[in-house]
Amino acid sequence: MRHEPLRARFVTPGSVVLVLLMVAGVVVAIVRYARGLGAVTNLSDTYPWGLWIAFDDLCGVALAAGAFTMAALVYIFGGEKYHAFVRPAVLTGFLGYVFVAIALLVDLGQPWRIWHPIVMWHKDSAMFQVSWCVMLYMAVVALQFAPAVFERLGWRQLHELWRALVPAFSVVALSFFTFIMSHSAIWTVVVFGVFAVLALAVPRLFASRAGVPIMLIMAGVILSTMHQSSLGSLFLLMPNKLHHLWWTPILPINFFLSAVAAGFAIVIFEATLSAKSFGRSPESELLAGLGRALCYALWICLVVRLADVMIRGQLAAAFSSGKGLIFLIDVVVGLMVPALILSSARARESMTSLFTAATLAVVGLVFNRLSVALLGMTMPGKVGYFPSIGEFIITIAIVSALVLLFTLSAKIFPVFTREEQEAFGLPGAASQAAGNR
Amino acid sequence: MSKACLVDLTKCIACRACQVACKEWNELEAEHTEFFGAPGGYQNPPALSSRTFTLIRFVEMTDNHGKLKWAFARSGCMHCQDPACASACPVGALRKTDEGPVVYDDTKCFGCRYCMMACPFDVPTFQWDSPIPLIRKCTFCADRQRGDVAITSVNDRPLSEESLARHRDSDRTPACVKACSTGTLKFGERGELLAEARNRMAAEPDKYIDHIYGEQEVGGTSWMYISNVPFDQLGFPTTLGKRSYPSYISPAMKAIPAVVTGLGLLLSGVYWVANRKAKAAKSAQKESEQT
Ligand code: SF4
Ligand code: SF4
Repeated sequence: MRHEPLRARFVTPGSVVLVLLMVAGVVVAIVRYARGLGAVTNLSDTYPWGLWIAFDDLCGVALAAGAFTMAALVYIFGGEKYHAFVRPAVLTGFLGYVFVAIALLVDLGQPWRIWHPIVMWHKDSAMFQVSWCVMLYMAVVALQFAPAVFERLGWRQLHELWRALVPAFSVVALSFFTFIMSHSAIWTVVVFGVFAVLALAVPRLFASRAGVPIMLIMAGVILSTMHQSSLGSLFLLMPNKLHHLWWTPILPINFFLSAVAAGFAIVIFEATLSAKSFGRSPESELLAGLGRALCYALWICLVVRLADVMIRGQLAAAFSSGKGLIFLIDVVVGLMVPALILSSARARESMTSLFTAATLAVVGLVFNRLSVALLGMTMPGKVGYFPSIGEFIITIAIVSALVLLFTLSAKIFPVFTREEQEAFGLPGAASQAAGNR
Repeated sequence: MSKACLVDLTKCIACRACQVACKEWNELEAEHTEFFGAPGGYQNPPALSSRTFTLIRFVEMTDNHGKLKWAFARSGCMHCQDPACASACPVGALRKTDEGPVVYDDTKCFGCRYCMMACPFDVPTFQWDSPIPLIRKCTFCADRQRGDVAITSVNDRPLSEESLARHRDSDRTPACVKACSTGTLKFGERGELLAEARNRMAAEPDKYIDHIYGEQEVGGTSWMYISNVPFDQLGFPTTLGKRSYPSYISPAMKAIPAVVTGLGLLLSGVYWVANRKAKAAKSAQKESEQT
C-alpha cells in the first residue's frame, strides 16, 4: 500500500477565493496588532473569551481528534484495515493544531510571549497543561507525518534515524510532561520506568509490526487524551458561571469522550465529502465500520452526559430554562439523533445516512463547545456578546488557510495511498482523467 | 500574619475619596463617562475597568416609606486567601503573597484572560484598547505595604527615629484606606479585623446583617464587608459557596501522573490482546489453507 501525492492542479478558482479570504484576515489582523483587541472584537471585561476561544480553539482541537482516534484504532486496537484513513487524519489533525496556534497568536493579548509557558511553569493551571499538550502533541504529530516527507524527498538515512530515535523521544516526552505537571520526582521516575520498559518490551514481546513506531503512537494517544480533557478542565474553575447542565466535576472526561466521537465523525465526514465531490463511491464497508465506532462513541457520550446530569439532580433544569433548551439541542441533535441513526446497520451502509449522522455529530460537537464556552455561561452585568465582523473574518481566514494547506499538502506529499485515493475518490486515482484534461 | 481590610458599609457616605486615591496612586488615566449614564445615576464609572481598580457602587433601593434610598457598596479585588485567578494563570503571573495581597507580574502575563474568566468576583480587567495589553486590577497597594515607597527624609534631612516610625505606618497603609475619612475602610491583621467586625455586630445587632462577607466566601478573602443591607441586594454574589475555587480543579490536575501511567499500561494491554488475536487469525488462516 504505497502512499502517493495527488496529481492535480495547484491553482484552481477555489484556491483563489481561499487566498482572497485569507488576505481579508490579514488586514483585520494588522488592525488588531496596531490598535488592540478592542478595535476588531466585541470582547469586553464581561466577555473576555469569545468566538476565537470557543470555536477556533476548542472546536479546532476537538476536530483534530481524528488523528489520535484513528492512530489508536489502527495501530493499538488492531483495526489495521482502516490504515488508509490514518495519514489524511494525521494531516487534518496537524493542520487543526496549526489552526489553533494561529488563532492563539491573534487572540492572546501579547502573542510574542506565547513561549512563556515553556520557561514559566505553573503546574496547578489547566491552561498551562493545555499549552504543554499543544506543544508536545504537535511535535508528536509532526513526527508521525515525517515519514511522508522523508518518502517524498527520498531521505532514507533520516528515515532510519527517525525510526531509531522516536521511541526514546516518546518516553522522554511523557516523563517530562509528568514532571512539569506534578513536580514530583517519584511520579516522573515511575512514568519513565513504565514507559521505558514498555518501549523495550513492546516490540519484542508483542511481536512487532514492522514500520509502526508504537511508542510514538502511544505517546500521541496519551498526550491527546490529556489535551482534550484539559480543555474541559479549564471550565472547572467556573462553577458560578457555567450552568450545571454542563459544569460537572467530570467535565474533562466529557470533553475527552466527545472528542473521540468527533474524531471518528470528522474522518467519515471528510472521506464521504471528498468522495462525493469527485463523484465516486468510497469503500463503504470500511466507512460502515467507522460508523459503528462512531455509534459506540456517541452512545457512551450520551449515557455519561445524561447519567451525570441525573446524578447531580440537574435534569429538571433541562426542561425549565433557556439554558435547558440549549442543553437539549446539544444532547439530542448532537448525540442522540446521530447515535440512533447509526444504530441501524442499514443506515451505516447507506452513504447518505452515514454522512448525515457524521455531519450531525460534527455540528453537535461544535455546538457543545460553543455551549460550554459561551451559550451555557451566565456572565455578570448586562453587557452581551455577539462576535464582531472582525472576529468572523479572522476565523474564516484561518479556516481558508487550512483548507488550502490541506489540499496543497496532499498534492505535494504522499498522504493518500493509491487504494485510498480510489477509496476517497480523489483525483490521484483519476490521474488519467486529469491528464486528459 | 496576613494583612486584610474590613469595609463597614454602614459608614460609607460615597465621597469616593478611595476611588480617587486609588487612581492617583496607580497613576490611572481618567475615563470618559457620562454622568447619570450608569445604573444608579450617580455611580461613575459604570464598572471596574483597566482604569478603575476601586469603584463605589450606588445601589438604588426603596425605604420603608416607599422613597428612593441609596445604599453604597464597593467593587474591587477581594484578595482571596486561595485565589482562582492565581490558580488559573498558566505562567504564574498572579500570586497570593503571604502578606495578603494577590499580586500581578506584568513581565510574565501573555494576555490569555483565563484569570478574568476564573475570578468569581469578576475583578481582573484587560486593556482592550492597547496593542501591548496587560491585565489590570487592585494590588492592595502591595508596593506600599512592602515599604517600597517609605519616606526616610524630608528636604534632604533624614527623619528622626520617632518620625520614621510614624511615617512607616502611614506609608504602608493602602492608598484607599488612607483616604477614607469616615472609617469605612480599616486596614490590619485579618484575625484582628474579624474580631473587630464581630464586636461591632454584637454591639449593634439591630443595625448589622449577621454576616461577614468574605470571612468564608470562596474559602475566605482578605477584603471583608459588613453591612446593614443584605449583600445580595447590594450586588455581591451570594451563591459562591465556602469552597475555595482552586479546589474545584485540583483533583483533575493531581490525577495527571496516574492517568498517564494508567493509559500507558491500558494501551499496551489492548495492543497485546489485539496482536494475539491478529496472530491467531493468521495462523488459523494458514491452517485452513494447508488443509
Ligand atoms: S477577587 Fe478575583 S482577582 Fe481578586 S484575588 Fe480573588 S480571584 Fe483573584
Ligand atoms: S491573562 Fe495574564 S495574568 Fe491572566 S491568566 Fe492569562 S497570563 Fe495569567
